[in-house]
Amino acid sequence: MASFIQLLVSGLATGAIYALIAVGFTLLWQTSQTINFAQGEFVMLPAFFVLAAMNAGAPFWMAVLIGIALSIVILGILFKIIIVDPMIKYGVLPLVISTIALSLFLKESAKDFYSSQAQPFPALVPAIDIRIFDAVVSTQSLAVLAVAIVTVVALNLLLNKTRLGRQMQATAQNATLARILGVPVRRMVLYTFLLNAVLVAVASILVSPIYLAKFTNGETLGIAAFIAAIIGGFNQVRGAVLGGVILGVLDNLSAAYISSQYRGAFPLIILIIVILLRPQGLLGRIEERSV
Amino acid sequence: MMRLGGIVVAIASAAAIAAPFFLKPYGIFLISTWAVLTIAAIGLNLTLGYAGQISLAQGAFVGIGAYTVALLTPAGVPFFVAFMAAGLLSFAIGWVLGYPALRVQHHYLAFVTLAFSTLVFLVLRNEEWLTNGIYGIAGTSRPTLLGWQTGAARDFYFLCLGVLALLSLATWWMLRSPWGRAFVALRENPVRAVSLGLDTRRYTLMAFAIGSSLGGLSGALYAPLVQFIEPSSFTLGLSFNLLLMVIVGGSGNFFGPFVGALIAVLLPEWLRVTQGYYLIVYAAAVMVMMAFCPAGVLGLIERAGGMLRAPPKAAGAFTDGAAT
Amino acid sequence: MTAVLEVTNLRKAFGGIVAVDGVSFEVRAGEILGIIGPNGSGKSTLFNCVLGQLQPSAGEVRIDDRLTTGMRPCDLNQLGVSRTFQLLQVFPQLSVRDNLILAGQEHQGSMASRLFGRADAGLGDAAGRMIEFFRLSHLADEQAGSLSYGQQKLLDAAMAFMAGPRLVLLDEPAGGVNLTMLGHLRERLHAYHAERSATFVVIEHQMEFVMALCTRVLVLAEGRLIAEGTPQDIRRNPIVIEAYLGH
Repeated sequence: MASFIQLLVSGLATGAIYALIAVGFTLLWQTSQTINFAQGEFVMLPAFFVLAAMNAGAPFWMAVLIGIALSIVILGILFKIIIVDPMIKYGVLPLVISTIALSLFLKESAKDFYSSQAQPFPALVPAIDIRIFDAVVSTQSLAVLAVAIVTVVALNLLLNKTRLGRQMQATAQNATLARILGVPVRRMVLYTFLLNAVLVAVASILVSPIYLAKFTNGETLGIAAFIAAIIGGFNQVRGAVLGGVILGVLDNLSAAYISSQYRGAFPLIILIIVILLRPQGLLGRIEERSV
Repeated sequence: MMRLGGIVVAIASAAAIAAPFFLKPYGIFLISTWAVLTIAAIGLNLTLGYAGQISLAQGAFVGIGAYTVALLTPAGVPFFVAFMAAGLLSFAIGWVLGYPALRVQHHYLAFVTLAFSTLVFLVLRNEEWLTNGIYGIAGTSRPTLLGWQTGAARDFYFLCLGVLALLSLATWWMLRSPWGRAFVALRENPVRAVSLGLDTRRYTLMAFAIGSSLGGLSGALYAPLVQFIEPSSFTLGLSFNLLLMVIVGGSGNFFGPFVGALIAVLLPEWLRVTQGYYLIVYAAAVMVMMAFCPAGVLGLIERAGGMLRAPPKAAGAFTDGAAT
Repeated sequence: MTAVLEVTNLRKAFGGIVAVDGVSFEVRAGEILGIIGPNGSGKSTLFNCVLGQLQPSAGEVRIDDRLTTGMRPCDLNQLGVSRTFQLLQVFPQLSVRDNLILAGQEHQGSMASRLFGRADAGLGDAAGRMIEFFRLSHLADEQAGSLSYGQQKLLDAAMAFMAGPRLVLLDEPAGGVNLTMLGHLRERLHAYHAERSATFVVIEHQMEFVMALCTRVLVLAEGRLIAEGTPQDIRRNPIVIEAYLGH
């Protein structure tokens, strides 16, 4: 039972990180038809920004801020202006191809311009093990959970309680209608990109102490994010959160109780099951068939 | 129009046949690689360029085909049989993968194939009793066909070239048939196609399954070509590479894969000067290309000339100015 | 007279907006039914529900007494139902001839025979006859995208007829077509109807077109059926006039 709780907690922590990544991914898809195949690399990169800042002498907290700022500029603004905007007029497919190429580009850049070795990354809190009932739980997992929950709550407040957030949601659900209602759609789309940049940066800082900062991190994280988004129901932000948490918990449990050699296969199995039985995801609506 | 294109194809074919007599063994290896990978690229072009679906598992299918042959031929199975088995197995797996994924609207196939790629790698790596795991399989023998031994570099090249020619002709024929017309309809205007009784789901699934089987057939030749296969040869990297081949050559264009594969095989050689940064350069080049001429190299040439019009070309999301 | 198409209590809601609100009607074999109504009255939504493009929220659609609610458009087409589109839907890169062959090929044989059989699926002659019927012979090998708007409308209709459908739904066939071409189109539709005893359902805005072509007219307003009758009756019906003027 104790180990189950441990796995549950660490699974929730992992799941919370997946949730953040999946939410950003879903938002981008909803508002601007951008299927960002580089989302995994987007999570891999900010950690390197932070490390680079620290190498330049900045204290950790400042490096984190710099990392988030760089993320906003590069993964938010530049991504939108240089890659998405010029491409969107050609339709979804070329854009998807571009993000696939971008993921390769970012991965190789991190490898070549920083290091191909895994880099240790400072944790937010010192890793102490504390006992809850009989289980040994790492403060790190708790800290990750705490930060992730705060972020999700803040995100929820932003999207549902602020005018800005509601405008973003309107844009996501029906851009044409939103435009007619006076929502500044282009600006909302930009904000979505910025929001995604912040989310991936936070996820990066949370995940890198555990996985170390490595240029290959993007692969597994990317797949996890896509699958979490699909599980939750591609069009739902809430779904992405739910999907991420479920995936994180199941993934952790499976690695412990089933062969760890096939750990990476588990998300695929879940994905296939979901698509077979409930393709609209847990929270999604059945899409109107147009063909 | 057609005549100019026909002349180009004739010259290129002659060059392909003559080339090995002027090249050193490494050069012959390169063009053999080109021939083998073109087969996989033709398959992916069917899936992507004609049916408009993104598959990130083509590399995995090459792996499946390679391991099929590498495991069957030492067990005494004739190469030809193993070759067909590779193709059929890949077709079946493609069908099974695609069936659920293509029932939904979004680009789910992309994600499914992405995850499948990882799964294949894990199976190849973990199931050592079957695949020898990370130690790989060495020495897959090159076949003897009707007394013709293909062990030597030049002979094996001609085998690869011959298979490429056969499969290209088969694909050409398929694209000239009503199926080809259906694929074009599928890409250009699926709403209209469906209202005319065209079962878009079935045609898309077919394109993906056939495309995947071509990947398997490519792998069947790959194993005896490189003589040593291991799981890491068939990861996402290869799938990306094949995808880029199709895009760069000109997606939806019959000759695109030939050009794209040539560029992909030669580029690392040309970019030796960039010393291993070539992946970054390649990726950057693709992004630039997507921004300015998403129709690839052949698309550029077409804009300039208007030749190489083959069986119904799928113009769609990759032609400039098209709004999907 | 048997009903070729029977719609019962069809309802389609998009969230809170009800586009079609409990519409019921019948289309008898051989008639040309017109559906008119002011903008936003739900005509296109109704069509899309009948044709499987949209899933109705409630209600039934029967074709030849066979339940077809929510069937996929391609399956409906195999049953003999065809449609034209409001916005042009030809295949611009293919030739006129190829467009027509494509329009009929899915009704010839099976998937296998289409792969291993003739390149034109045996429809070369049929396509030729259809081209002549619509007087597009001089354009047969031109790319469909290079035709004029009116000519593409003719091609659209021709494509809908290629498989010899018994029921054709035409979505604003007259929209954007110039007067001369309009006459030609209407005359060709009449001719096809007479020759094949087909049943038509036409959504249209242009009154003259409807009056001249249709044998019976339904009027929709705000998702509901408000009137039904011959073109002459409808024209004089005060409820109908109110519905149009009131908007």
